[in-house]
Amino acid sequence: MEKEKINITNKLGLHARAAAKLSHLANNFNSNIFLLFNGDRVNAKSLLGILTLAASVGNDIIIEAEGEDESEAVSGIKELFEKKFDEES
Amino acid sequence: MKKLKGKPVSQGIVIGKATILKSHSDIALKENLEKSAVPLELKRFNNALRTTRLQLKKIYKNLQQVMGKDSSLIIESQSMLLNDTRLIDEITDKIRTNRVNSEWAIKEVSKKYLDFFSNIKDLSFREKGNDIADILGRITENLSKSSKSEDQEIENVILVADDLTPSTAASLMSKGKLLGIILNNGGETSHTVILARTLGIPTILETGNATDEITNDDTLIVDGLDGEIIVNPKDQYIAKTRIKIEKYNAHKKRLKKIIKLPDITKDKKEFKLMANIELPFESDLVHSYGASGIGLFRTEFLFMDPEIALFEEEQYLIYKNIAQKIYPENVTIRTFDIGRDKGTKYFKTGNERNPALGTMAVRLFLKEEKIFRTQIKSIIRANENGNIKILFPMITEIEEIHTIKKIMEEITDELRSEKKLPLHRIQTGIMIEIPGTIKLIKHLKDEIDFYSVGSNDLIQYLLAVERDNSSLSYLFNPYQPSVIENLFEIREETEKIGKPVTICGEIAGKPLTALMLLGMGYTNFSMNPLSIAEVKRVFTNVHFSRIRKIVKKLPEFDSKSKSEEFLIESMLRIYPEMFIKQPFF
Repeated sequence: MEKEKINITNKLGLHARAAAKLSHLANNFNSNIFLLFNGDRVNAKSLLGILTLAASVGNDIIIEAEGEDESEAVSGIKELFEKKFDEES
Repeated sequence: MKKLKGKPVSQGIVIGKATILKSHSDIALKENLEKSAVPLELKRFNNALRTTRLQLKKIYKNLQQVMGKDSSLIIESQSMLLNDTRLIDEITDKIRTNRVNSEWAIKEVSKKYLDFFSNIKDLSFREKGNDIADILGRITENLSKSSKSEDQEIENVILVADDLTPSTAASLMSKGKLLGIILNNGGETSHTVILARTLGIPTILETGNATDEITNDDTLIVDGLDGEIIVNPKDQYIAKTRIKIEKYNAHKKRLKKIIKLPDITKDKKEFKLMANIELPFESDLVHSYGASGIGLFRTEFLFMDPEIALFEEEQYLIYKNIAQKIYPENVTIRTFDIGRDKGTKYFKTGNERNPALGTMAVRLFLKEEKIFRTQIKSIIRANENGNIKILFPMITEIEEIHTIKKIMEEITDELRSEKKLPLHRIQTGIMIEIPGTIKLIKHLKDEIDFYSVGSNDLIQYLLAVERDNSSLSYLFNPYQPSVIENLFEIREETEKIGKPVTICGEIAGKPLTALMLLGMGYTNFSMNPLSIAEVKRVFTNVHFSRIRKIVKKLPEFDSKSKSEEFLIESMLRIYPEMFIKQPFF
């Protein structure tokens, strides 16, 4: 299992569009991927799941992946967070 | 025969049969299922789900064609939710384990998320609950429509409903088979309105109780000019309406010719008639209305989708597209005029005792700077052709202007360093809506490039009369001596400092008040685009010098009725033809 803590840096946090990008990306991997925040654990492949976290800028969030491509999954998702979901140029 | 009243938002008159559209999700009842019935129920749910997905795909495509890419965002996010396994699993789990009917399972899940999202502090998440409820409501509707299809039921009828969600409005109207639309409510219906106008469907909103007063197959007259609905009219009334429809059509034809005439009075005084618009899509129509550009683009609609309001790129594209479409004419973009009645749900303005005198418009945004900055930045950035002007509403004191200008300078520097700054300097204007602001004009020579008079608010604040309070509408009157004098003063003050002024608001779009304004010296008018042709007809048939002489006498009168009577009598004396022949306005 691969695990990593990430800080949300895009201004709007995990709102609908960022959540959609994230779930799209997660669906490209075979591993089971979860997001942990505030005591909640949601499937990263579900848009609704991500939305219910209501995670905002400044929050820390944990990505957890388990499966054949777990390390690619975590690093791919981490990259998406780091480039702020391509929202801010 | 009975009469109902509402707010007309799309013109035209029509006679037809009523069809009531009931929302199924509200009336779902719980049914407990036998264990053996569960697989069949799951199948029923999955069929409805599939139908909904197909519908949404079609709506999305239609909507993109009619309204452009920017406006289909709502449907896009709904369609993603519909494909979300967690949401769908939650419903099917409920059907399976609780052994309940699909309608009930949907209702429970829908309620859960409405509650959940309404409790989130972060504003941009709030609307998600409604999105989920809207989309699940569609599945419920499809569950009960196993035999009849939406298309067969609703054709060549007048639709009567409580409210229309954006997806339902789009699906019903993009087929173009509705004769008219009547809604009890209509708060969040900008999509409905613009589609109705585009397709020429007479529409009346805010009737309050139309769905109770009207039953299926009632004969209705929908008068989208006066906002009147006649339920089961008498024969002679129908005959009268037919004549009115004929006249209206002839009138429309005549106006089409008029919009092609040059914008000058008989004695060669030039004037300019511009359009007020609310939705980006309307910029396509501006030309066909005969408008010389857009004098007021209200941006409040962007708050329908907080994600547009919050993103620079989205807004920039919307503004840029509009500016390109109407080039070489200008578009004046007014920053968010939120607070009071409009769009407050995204902001906590506190429970103010008197919102009309409270934290709104620029006052609100100087507190919520993030959103304000995003909007200003998008507007400045979009000014690539130099035909965008920026307009700030509800200015009270010069300090606000200084703060805004400082923000604009910072943003200009930001854009410069990002290499996104256009060559053209943007012209900056303020609204004159608060009577006290008139006294500021003489101090603003070097600060402000242009002025815009919001007559509805100006009257409201001058007379201390709420503009929508129907029991006080006798007071809310543009011929009140104070209103006349202040309008004169604004014109004189702006002329003294050599800055242009535009008048927008209802009085700009009504022939008699527009003539009064012309006589006061106003030459720039911005109005509901549907009024342009009529005002143009009147203006091209009068002599500015004669109107001026008449209007100059108005300050002598001590009451609204004396002023109005004098104005009407004088006009009828010199131009007897002009008003008598026009039954519609």
